[in-house]
Amino acid sequence: MMWLSWRQFRVQALTGAVALAVIVAYLVYLGTDVREGYAVFQANCHGVADCAQAKAQFRATYENTLLFLAAGLALVPAVLGTFWGAPLIARELEGNTHTLAWNQSVTRPRWLLTKVLVVGLAAMLLTGVAGAMLTWAAAPFDEVVKNQFSTFVFGARYLAPIGYAALAFTLGTLAGLLLRRTLPAMALTLVGFIAFQFFFANVVRPSLVPAEHATLPMTAEAINEAQNLGSITGGSVINGVRIPAAPDAWIAETSPLRTPDGRTIDGGKFGACINNPPKTGASGTFGDAAVCLAKYNLHVDVSYQPTSRYWTFQVLETVVYLALSGVLLAFSLVRIRRRVMS
Amino acid sequence: MPHADSPPVFHATGLAKKYGRRGKQALVDVNLTIPAGRVIGLVGPNGAGKSTLLHLACGLIEPTAGSLTVLGSRPAANAAHLARVGFVAQNTPVYGSFSVAEHLTLGAKMNPGWDQALAERRVRQVGLNPGQRAGHLSGGQRAQLALTIAAAKRPELLIFDEPAAALDPLARKGFLRNLMDFVRELGASAVLSSHLLDDIEQVCDYLIVLCDSRVQVAGDVRALLTGHARMTAPRGGLDRLPPGVEVIRVENRGHHSHAVIRTGATSGPLPHPVEPVSLEELVLAYMSRAAGMGTGAGADVETEAWETQR
Repeated sequence: MMWLSWRQFRVQALTGAVALAVIVAYLVYLGTDVREGYAVFQANCHGVADCAQAKAQFRATYENTLLFLAAGLALVPAVLGTFWGAPLIARELEGNTHTLAWNQSVTRPRWLLTKVLVVGLAAMLLTGVAGAMLTWAAAPFDEVVKNQFSTFVFGARYLAPIGYAALAFTLGTLAGLLLRRTLPAMALTLVGFIAFQFFFANVVRPSLVPAEHATLPMTAEAINEAQNLGSITGGSVINGVRIPAAPDAWIAETSPLRTPDGRTIDGGKFGACINNPPKTGASGTFGDAAVCLAKYNLHVDVSYQPTSRYWTFQVLETVVYLALSGVLLAFSLVRIRRRVMS
Repeated sequence: MPHADSPPVFHATGLAKKYGRRGKQALVDVNLTIPAGRVIGLVGPNGAGKSTLLHLACGLIEPTAGSLTVLGSRPAANAAHLARVGFVAQNTPVYGSFSVAEHLTLGAKMNPGWDQALAERRVRQVGLNPGQRAGHLSGGQRAQLALTIAAAKRPELLIFDEPAAALDPLARKGFLRNLMDFVRELGASAVLSSHLLDDIEQVCDYLIVLCDSRVQVAGDVRALLTGHARMTAPRGGLDRLPPGVEVIRVENRGHHSHAVIRTGATSGPLPHPVEPVSLEELVLAYMSRAAGMGTGAGADVETEAWETQR
């Protein structure tokens, strides 16, 4: 059975190996480059002002590339699930070759299990190696920028990609088994897995571990440290605030700007401060608007995850994905034994 | 080799299969017991339920009701039972990207009882090139390859679903000859479905006629032929037949009625002259009766009607 699985997989395996070699070669090049950039940053990091500028420059040089690569790595499991997982059973059912395979002296669950293990472990290995290489390449950048909880970055480091590969692949296999047609199974896997990734990263991940809560006074300095103020819909919101006690923590949720009595600041007052603040000549990101808003004695309530929980999150997320893959695989095995061609 | 005390090849009681909840009833109340060591022909028009019965027999599908045992246990019950049954599906699927030799490797790797010498000898005899990709084989060659894979695992029962349907007459003849060689060499039982009575007549010694999801008649070919007859009587003369004699089908021509009858156990004198019936007439009689065309015109018209019903 191992022989058959490998014989059917070898062309895809070769393609995967070539693609991985290209990815690894590029990441080695990039990693070296990032380390050179890091050396320059350290050399220029004298005094607060110079250091901040060197840091900003280092960040600007690699941020987009690394974000792009993280997004690309997020696609790898989806692509493997689509092109390796979905056709695994569906193509046999379509070509009727399953009648040949299932009438050898190997039971259907064993046939399926061997195929899934051979191809699935290869998918996990490929994704895992690509993820590990990206983690290595980005290590100096991550050390400086400390953005490890941002949605894409988190999923493109250490263990998490392996769990994604396992789930995408078992999802593809099951879709092929249930739909019995390759193309619809591929489409469902691609769309379904990407949708699940968004759902998990935005809804499940923040609550994997109960969050800490804090109330942050919105002084002019605090407002100026935020990334943006207000929204297109006119809400009295502030985004990208930092917790002074835990500056690198992952802010999972930020309330609107609130007055001391706990109510959201009146939209009119907020708008007036944003659009037409009294001139004070203040500097900072938001200048006069920050000073204007600070006068209202505002605060925000945030829920956050301290950086010390990073590995808890990595391990938990990977375990959840592997467990889900196990459930899908178990369902496939029961399904192929019980009712196959109904 | 099968013995008299070996479990029956097939034992079905109340077997039924329905596809989906509101789907078609593909088999209804099939009761069959077929002894080992026979070459069984399963005939019936397209869509009669032949494939369904064979898929049930090799465990590709499960019955909706009733039970079926093959060689004494549930079909495809475990790896050991899978090794005892060889199945060749309709259109004889093979892996297009595998070479002929790789198909033999597949068989060798996946079957503990694989007979590589037998497989290689057969491949040589039918003139297959071991290095050739199976995707480039002709229909006849592909069928021979599928047959070789099914047979070289040395099963006790070989099941073929319309194996010769897509083959030209010459390839069909070669295939059936090869099939019979295998059956003899392995001492196996075989089941072979076809909508062509010709194929069945050449090789089978046991016959099942399946029409309209039901088994119309089943039995040893010789016993069926001696148990049925063609009777010619004046019109209306078929009303007074001795008990036990069953009229399967009547065809009126001019002043006479020609009937295929089952004489059954009655050995008493029959009121009208009878002559032996051919297997084709017998099968057509049962098919026509199942179609509700007992007193139709020519047999040819009826078989055509069968083909177009699907």
